[in-house]
Amino acid sequence: MSRARTICLGVALALASMPAAAEPAAAPTGDVPDFIDDAEAAGITHAYTGPWEFFVGGGVAAFDCDGDRRPDLFLAGGTSPAQLMRNASETGGPLRFDAVPLDVDAKELEKITGAYPLDVDNDGVLDLFVLRLGRNLLLRGEGDCRFRKANDLWAFDGGNDWTTAFAATFEAGQQFPTLAIGNYVDRKAPGAPFGTCADSWLARPAPGDAPSYSDQSPLSPSYCTLSMLFTDWNQSGVPALRVTNDRQYYRGGQEQLWNVEPGARPRLFTAGEGWQHLSIWGMGIAEADLDADGYPEYALTSMGDTKLQQLDAEAEDGLPVYSDIAFQRGATAQRPYQGEDYRPSTGWHSQFADVNNDGLFDLFIAKGNVEAMPEFAAYDPDNLLLGQWDGRFVEVGGAAGLAADTRGRGAAIVDLNLDGMLDIVVVNRNAPIGLFRNRGVRTEWGHMPMGNWIAIELEQPDINKVAIGARVSVKTGNRTVTRTIAVGGGHASGQLGFVHAGLGTAERAEVRIKWPDGEWSHTYRVFANNFVRIERSAPAAGYWLPPPKP
Amino acid sequence: MKQTKSKSLLRAAVGVAMGVSVAAAMTFTADTALAQKVGVSWNNFQEERWKTDEAAIKAALEAAGAEYISTDAQSSAEKQLTDIESLIAQGANALIVLAQDSEAVQPAVQRALDEGVPVIGYDRLIEMPGVFYITFDNREVGRMQARAVFDVQPTGNYVFIKGNSADPNADFVHSGQLDVLQDAIDAGDIKNVGESYTDNWNPSVAQTNMEQFLTANDNNVDAVISSNDGMAGGVVAALTAQGLAGSVPVSGQDGDHAALNRVALGSQTVSVWKDARSLGKAAGEAAVELASGKALNEVTGAVVFSNGPKGVDMNSILLAPVPVTEDNLNLVIDAGWISKDAVCQGVPAGRVDVCG
Repeated sequence: MSRARTICLGVALALASMPAAAEPAAAPTGDVPDFIDDAEAAGITHAYTGPWEFFVGGGVAAFDCDGDRRPDLFLAGGTSPAQLMRNASETGGPLRFDAVPLDVDAKELEKITGAYPLDVDNDGVLDLFVLRLGRNLLLRGEGDCRFRKANDLWAFDGGNDWTTAFAATFEAGQQFPTLAIGNYVDRKAPGAPFGTCADSWLARPAPGDAPSYSDQSPLSPSYCTLSMLFTDWNQSGVPALRVTNDRQYYRGGQEQLWNVEPGARPRLFTAGEGWQHLSIWGMGIAEADLDADGYPEYALTSMGDTKLQQLDAEAEDGLPVYSDIAFQRGATAQRPYQGEDYRPSTGWHSQFADVNNDGLFDLFIAKGNVEAMPEFAAYDPDNLLLGQWDGRFVEVGGAAGLAADTRGRGAAIVDLNLDGMLDIVVVNRNAPIGLFRNRGVRTEWGHMPMGNWIAIELEQPDINKVAIGARVSVKTGNRTVTRTIAVGGGHASGQLGFVHAGLGTAERAEVRIKWPDGEWSHTYRVFANNFVRIERSAPAAGYWLPPPKP
Repeated sequence: MKQTKSKSLLRAAVGVAMGVSVAAAMTFTADTALAQKVGVSWNNFQEERWKTDEAAIKAALEAAGAEYISTDAQSSAEKQLTDIESLIAQGANALIVLAQDSEAVQPAVQRALDEGVPVIGYDRLIEMPGVFYITFDNREVGRMQARAVFDVQPTGNYVFIKGNSADPNADFVHSGQLDVLQDAIDAGDIKNVGESYTDNWNPSVAQTNMEQFLTANDNNVDAVISSNDGMAGGVVAALTAQGLAGSVPVSGQDGDHAALNRVALGSQTVSVWKDARSLGKAAGEAAVELASGKALNEVTGAVVFSNGPKGVDMNSILLAPVPVTEDNLNLVIDAGWISKDAVCQGVPAGRVDVCG
């Protein structure tokens, strides 16, 4: 007995000291989805273009603008005009989009870096926050994919900065959303671009019955922000503002977490409160509660390693101390997983989603060289890291058909043809977008669907109708997975609409909602493979059946 | 081997005599009774350039009877942390660390120092007290660039194409350039008519900046101090577009193949070359000295370097690079760094000796 143990220990030590390179490439346990790029066939010709100012940005907003619940797309174009594409895909069919003209000054449709959907005025029609090099836009949705510039209507100045990040939340006591606007380099400051980061801003609604954003305060110091996200990191019910910054241009900066208490000036969490100095080329934030403990994990993209941060279990309660678990979970994704280019890669949009419907979070990362940085990979394919039951991630970007030779930037992971399988939109710099339709698992006789799924849409009465900040908890068997509805994060890209959850082999699920004000709903019992609508005021959940054609 | 061992024992005895605790001295003796082990943590060994360094390190260790172990962080700063711990666990008596991220690597380096394992920051500065630093003297690189250009153009309008502002090396190099040129600038013999940092040392950015300086000065530019070869390529492209290539001296560094060809062609004046073999050899030898108990400041050739961003006093070896001009192009060919064909491509007969 004791001898056997010694031998085992010896083997374990020998294994532990072996370089990781010797580990065989792990095979994923779940289904690998097979994607096909439908962009050209779908009728979308779009690229994100422009000089240095458009090395960053390149976002997409995925949301329904005409009330048919099919996600439409607003694509940032840099020096090319932004485009609004109406979703005309048949349910379960190939993707099809029609361009919709925008009634906005043509000049203002250029120099756009990204966009996020949100409902500013609580009219139940989604509006758009448009990030620009120059004046930002608030576009009010008027239905049927018509938009009108509402900067004057809502007293929103829009500034004249180089805006690259956005997040929104409904603060307690407010009728309209609070907007966080993240800016990059101040190009006019002496010595620019080095050490000249422009201030980001927090815009709170003025009191009154209509949105008014005349009151904006600086989030100073700012460190060339590329992504920001309101997140309830400590389950306090008051989301803080997580900010990721690009160390290429700041001097003496770091990652940031702003305490944003209602009515109070935003305040940075300090080293004394446990916030640890971290300096990365921060490009995108993704949030998911991977271990279902109520405290979210964060994937931060950068150059080289992706960071996967988990609240440190050994730190004192209530302190924002994070440990990096990316390496142990196989999620560093620091260099291309295929090809002969061994230089580190450059990560942009990151997003957790269950693309194979096995009930586990997967991680998508859009990748691509800034332009021609010699020390970083030129061929830098996007990542799809499939979540595994042991908590690790396994790369399947190549097998899934996502390893395009493009410079990826923003993205959205969304079910475009309402077949219950998540598709992926990637905006590329100087190349056509990728519109990757998820066909399920490839077999010798065709494609098969993967696990079961459910898609959930929330509706609150009066204020914050889409329930930003709500937690959607989906229980199958003894397992619970929660997702948060958020506007922010990623890389200049946002989405609103059905919340998608894979269910694996479960045929039904129990859904509970923690509404933004903290109240828990009762349990809704729903059947798998359905689109579910949960109205806060209604006693039961309803099903929505997508018509075969739009 | 035998000699090394007895020397080490002697040194251990001296250590005791000098007041080092007996327990520490005993551990020390036990370790050195075995062959010394030097662990090298590469940041990304797939990069071709490190193979040369590795061969030089190995040769230096072999000559001293020391063992070579290594890890490859595969460009992951996170993996490098575990790599360094693994090298310590495997019994490394000294570490050579080529940092992927010189800030992120510090916790692992600190752990090594805490366990009494000396650490050499190789080529990239790990700015912590107690770490040894081996690199080429970047300030000397700047001096060599300026000297070579100044020799052929001691007066007139100078343009300075500096490196990436986030990279401390960019400022080291530029300060060396000023060491040589400041007097002439102060005397009014040299006029600074354009100076810019270059995002990511990017050649196309350098080209754009050079084009702007040419326009701003009606092409009246007499010399260009470019901090590296890639950017020199951008500068020469901008000069070529104005018909000025070859008549305006241009500096560079790295011994890029294209740059050495330009030196032979006459469109670039100098490329300051860092011979990786000498860097590897110096690191291997210093690691053996440190492993056998020498203090940082006792390492052969050690000087104090305190020009890092944080101003920490670092015991260092700063190697002198080699300025390659059309007069000594044979050096890089003889070293096997580049083929004669590559140097001489398109070079007219009789222009430089080495190309015939």
